[in-house]
Amino acid sequence: MSFVSNLLLASVRMAVPLLLIALGELYSERAGMVNIGLEGLAAIGSLVGFLTCFISGSTWVGILCGALVGIAVNMIYAFATVTLCANHTVYGMAINILAPALASFIYRIFFGSGSDLSQITLMKTINIPILKDIPIIGPLLFSQTPMVYLAFLLVILTGFFFTKTQAGLNYRAVGENPKAAATLGINVIRTKYLACVICGALSGIGGAYLTTCYSNTYTEGNISGRGFIALAAVIFGRWSGGGILAACLFFGFCDALQIRLQVASVGIPYQFFQMIPYVATVIALTVIGSGKSGPKAAGKPYRKEER
Amino acid sequence: MDNSRKNLVNIFVPVLSILLSILIGMIIMAFLKANPVTAVKYLVIGAFGTKQNLGTTLTRATPLIFTALCACFAYRCGVFNLGGEGQFIMGSIAACFVSLKFGLTGIPAVIVALVCGTVAGGLWGAIPGVLKITRGQNEMIISIMFNYIATLLMGVVYTNWLREGSVPQTAQVPKESQLARIVPGIRVTWGFVIAIVIGLLIYYFLFWTSLGFKFRAVGLNQTASRFNGYPVRRYMLSAFIISGAVAGLGGAGELMGTQFRLINGFASGYGFDGVAMALIGQLNPIATMFVALFFAALRTGSTTMQAATGVPTSVSDIIQALVIVFTVAGMALTQLPEFSTFIGRFFGRKEAQAV
Repeated sequence: MSFVSNLLLASVRMAVPLLLIALGELYSERAGMVNIGLEGLAAIGSLVGFLTCFISGSTWVGILCGALVGIAVNMIYAFATVTLCANHTVYGMAINILAPALASFIYRIFFGSGSDLSQITLMKTINIPILKDIPIIGPLLFSQTPMVYLAFLLVILTGFFFTKTQAGLNYRAVGENPKAAATLGINVIRTKYLACVICGALSGIGGAYLTTCYSNTYTEGNISGRGFIALAAVIFGRWSGGGILAACLFFGFCDALQIRLQVASVGIPYQFFQMIPYVATVIALTVIGSGKSGPKAAGKPYRKEER
Repeated sequence: MDNSRKNLVNIFVPVLSILLSILIGMIIMAFLKANPVTAVKYLVIGAFGTKQNLGTTLTRATPLIFTALCACFAYRCGVFNLGGEGQFIMGSIAACFVSLKFGLTGIPAVIVALVCGTVAGGLWGAIPGVLKITRGQNEMIISIMFNYIATLLMGVVYTNWLREGSVPQTAQVPKESQLARIVPGIRVTWGFVIAIVIGLLIYYFLFWTSLGFKFRAVGLNQTASRFNGYPVRRYMLSAFIISGAVAGLGGAGELMGTQFRLINGFASGYGFDGVAMALIGQLNPIATMFVALFFAALRTGSTTMQAATGVPTSVSDIIQALVIVFTVAGMALTQLPEFSTFIGRFFGRKEAQAV
């Protein structure tokens, strides 16, 4: 029993960074911006979150600074793709190369190249009274760090925003047909920039979560593909908040399972277990196929003058 | 924009981006309280100063040329293969098995290892290719997932299957099966020559053969190619396999010529570096090779720079990243209609306004 409940607890914890990053991507794609630079944004968010938490001693400062640096870096992407109409994929790759390079540079400057890792105190879990005593799901959902609650709250808010509010529908129109949206008086360019702010902030927070709420230190390459798995989660979750939550819980489960199997098994090289999340991503995408349910104008540049 | 001006822009933008990035790199150096001019001087000396240094630069350029050509070839055919690193690693794993387990030595071992590496890379590239054309998968995500899988598989090889001794690494490729050096005493091996030849072959294929034209046509406009009766899916899969094979050959060459053993960190980052170089080189195989050389020089030189001035080597990574950021943005800028108008007004030409 304790194996299972521990596994589920870890699944939720591992799902949260994916969930934050994937929701960021959802906001981006809903405004027509396919951002594959998530991995890089999370990497710089992770480092800056760690660094500022290390200096200030507050995990919340770390999370906030992670968000800010994510926004700052993503503004480069926004300027290039929205204003200059650069290819989204190509520019996402540019961010994936720039942001980790910046992160490792800042790390070297600050901590030198010594091998001893500096550590920080992780964010404390907060128990929600009464609810946490519900068997099984109590500790699972109501005895976590505040970031977990925020992530789940964000899923609900996102779903509500995109389906029930006028602003959300306007926002989606930009991703489906920017020209039609523009004729309705929606400011397409501003929406796209807003999308990049949200995407940058959430990706940065997702990265910062890894250093401030999950592992108490920073190692290079700690994102290890989560940015791309989050991208898969958006497709797998069919561009809806709930679907993305389910996808992220699934990938989080794979990650948690992998760690436990590594510990539990003897004789099988541990790398085979580490492959599980990546193989699961490939299988999940293959099984679900490529429905064309994404925003129609995603990835296409928007030029005002063009007809 | 007419062709000659387009070519000019294709060269002008990357060169300007490189200069601008170096300038920013020098500003960073100044912030680190080093003299930027001295630092750059040591960077150049470190990369080209002596025959040995030049040899190191060419040696470091070799794997980058392979992964860059891998990316370049795939994008020309419209498939975004980000799996160069995985394909490179699979090539080196195959070569490692051949040279350590097959009992061959000398030239036959080298040839079999290179061929097996090429095949392994091609097969590894075929997986995302097949998923792309049969299931309509996003090839970027899939190929990146296979990078991680390949890296972990390499981990199994050096910590388990082919581990030698207590350190997690494989045994060394026997001396007699290593790739020979071109000039005795300098590190560059025939792997560099193979890289250049592959680059020229790809250039010839893409720009001087009708099949190459069709490949490029698929990359430029899939719908038009389909209506022309080109087997678009087959070309896409072929592009994946060929680009994977190029990366696999590079991996085998790197193992047989430079690294000699698999170890933690082998090939780390080569895949994305290759993508960056292909994009900076405007997907032209020959330009791409020059870009790879430039970045190899930057890396080799930065070691000397760090030793002499204390500026950390990661400045060179920043410079490289800035080059790609500037180049892609710059190319996008030149394609904006406003830009053509502006240039047209600047030079007082009429035809520019018609663009």
